[in-house]
Order: sequence, then structure tokens, then C-alpha cells
Amino acid sequence: MNDRAMKAAATETDDELLLRIQSGDEQAFLDLYRRRQAALFRFALHMSGSNSVAEDVTQEVFLALLREGCGFDPERGTLSGYLFGIARKLVLRHLERGRSDVVLVVENDDSTLPELAVIDDPMVDLTRREGIDALRRAVQALPRRYREVVVLCDLEEVDYADAAIALGCPIGTVRSRLHRARGLLLEKLNQERNPRQAISLKPVRCAS
Amino acid sequence: MPEFSGDAGQPHLDECADCRARLKSRRELAAGLRAVAAGFHKKEAPARVEARLLAAFRSQSGITPIRRERRWIPAVTWAAAFAAMFALAVFLVRDRQPEAARSTTPRTVERASLVMSGDMEGFIALPNAEDAATGESEAMDVVHVEVPRSAMLAVGLEVSPDRTGEMVQADVMLGSDGVARAVRFLN
Ligand SMILES: [Zn+2]
Repeated sequence: MNDRAMKAAATETDDELLLRIQSGDEQAFLDLYRRRQAALFRFALHMSGSNSVAEDVTQEVFLALLREGCGFDPERGTLSGYLFGIARKLVLRHLERGRSDVVLVVENDDSTLPELAVIDDPMVDLTRREGIDALRRAVQALPRRYREVVVLCDLEEVDYADAAIALGCPIGTVRSRLHRARGLLLEKLNQERNPRQAISLKPVRCAS
Repeated sequence: MPEFSGDAGQPHLDECADCRARLKSRRELAAGLRAVAAGFHKKEAPARVEARLLAAFRSQSGITPIRRERRWIPAVTWAAAFAAMFALAVFLVRDRQPEAARSTTPRTVERASLVMSGDMEGFIALPNAEDAATGESEAMDVVHVEVPRSAMLAVGLEVSPDRTGEMVQADVMLGSDGVARAVRFLN
């Protein structure tokens, strides 16, 4: 990449790059790809647990952009949110086809999910290696609708507005799912660490 | 990631152990998730994805020096498998003509020497690949398909007559324009 291109890549917005892409600008396409591919790849990787699915999905997102770039409406949200939305649909298609989604929880019944629980035991430091691995597994084991919001908002630091675009739901739903997802993660980790105590966990809604 | 906010203010937290514990758990989870994210920080799509997309972009935007008549077909997943089968079928139909069949062998050798390298071994070039502009640097995609065993006959391989109806696994090498360049039979 030459200096000019590097400067352009750093300062131009996604929308500006998209306009240039639509007029056939190859460098703009590369700039946008290089800016966005890693996060899309990681999203698909976290969602599918498969490098090859993540590779396919990343590629197909940008192919879709070439085909359907005009389907993007800047009034409705950012290009990044739009691309995550395409990636999400492609991942779901892969998951359905491959039945590789290991999640067993019935997804449509929110009422069965626990409230955020107090961890009686001080948590083992999650930033230590085993803790991180356990947490990563816990994320992978989350029901899909909770996994996708954790991956987007917590792991890829996508803001709620973009996440809402990507997930095709209101921002309020993003917030509430994220809250439940985090609760599920804490619960899961606590169970792994303390199988007996977990049974006695009380749902907490502070009364005072 | 936004800080978890306690449901209650500091005065309440000072008095309520439950809420303090909950806030602590949430903060630890936030730190843990940041650590998970950091572990994946260097993960990204392999370089071949960029190469394929660039080829796709060029063939679509008409920037390539040689504009193909055929529409570009994404050389991944099912679309590619169908494209490969279609391309192979076109080739097979063409090859039923006797003259074409006679000229297959020498071309095969010539073309095959162009495309073979590393894990590309065993590929037999298709004669119709000639009218596709193939630079050695062209990004190729290999897709896995099932074709009738009779396809093997068409590229000069021996097949016992009673087995021509069976399906056989094959890898088809596609150019960036979606045209099959070569085929490799796997069983
Ligand atoms: Zn309290």
C-alpha cells in the first residue's frame, strides 16, 4: 500500500469507501476488506467454532457486498453493522446445515432462564489461563441468541446500535439479551467450579 | 465493553453484601471477556480470501484486461459445486464430438503441466479451459463434487462399461471466472 492509499484508508469512512467501490475502485475494496475482515472472521469463528466456516463466511460477506452493496441503507445503520448482519445470516445457514450448533437449550423460552445470580464463592480469576479457557467454552456453549450478542458486544466491542442492526432487533433487546447472556456465563462458570454449591444458588433481585 | 453498572448506588453497595458480590462478579466477567477477546486478537481470514475476493472484484467490475463473457460465479460452497458440475457437463457434452476427443490427449499433457504444483497433483486439464485466459498467477479454487463415472471416460481414463452410471468423487479446479480448468477423480 502506498502512502496515499494508506492515508485514504485511515481517514475515509466505510460509506465513502463503499461509494468508491461501487464506481469500481479496487483499492477502496481492499481497504474496506482489510479494515473489516478480521472482526467478521472472529465473529464467525466464535459463532461456529470452525476456522473453515469462518473463512467461508468472511469471503461470502464481501461477495454479497459486491452483489448487494446497493441494498445497504446508510440511514438505517453503519456498514459495519450491515456486514455483521450478513455474516450472522451466513453463520446461521452453516450451523443449520452442519447441525454443528451444540446448544441444547430451548431458545424461545426466556422464562426458563435464571436471573443473574450471586456467586457465593469469590470467583477464580478469569484472566488466568484456565479461567479464560473455561469462559471461552462457556461462550461457545451459550444458546445461539445469547452467544451472538456476547460475541458482538463483549468480544468484538460492537456498539448496541450496530449490534441491533446486525441482529435485526431493537436496541432494548440487545441490552436485555446481553444482560441474560452475562448472567448465564456467570452461572455456568460457577457451576463448573462449584457443582454442589450451584444448586443452592438463589436468584437475586435485591429486595432492598 | 461498557462497564457493568450496579443496579444501586454506592451508599446501597456499602450496606449490601449481595449487591457488592454481584457487582464484583460482573466486573470479573468483563475482565475475563476482554481476556478472551485478546486471545483471538490476531485471528483473521487467511490471505487466500483476499486474493479470491480481489479476483472476484476484478471479474465483476470489468477491470481485468480480459473480460470474460461468462458471468462470474462465486467459487465457494454450493454455488461453486453447481458451477463446477455445470462446467464439467458442458465440457462432457462438447467432448462427445469425435474430433474433439481425438485432440484431447496432447492438450491435456500441455495444460496439465501448467496447473500442477504441490497438492495440485492428479489434476487433468480440461480442453475447454483453453479458451479461458489462464495466467499462472490466476487464483484457482478447488471444489469437491460428485459426477457420473462416465466423466472419467471423457478425459481419457478407463472405466468398465457396467460402472459408468456410478457416481464418483472429484475435485474440480475453477478459475476466477467460474470456468472449470481441470478435474481430479478421487475414487
Ligand atoms: Zn442490594
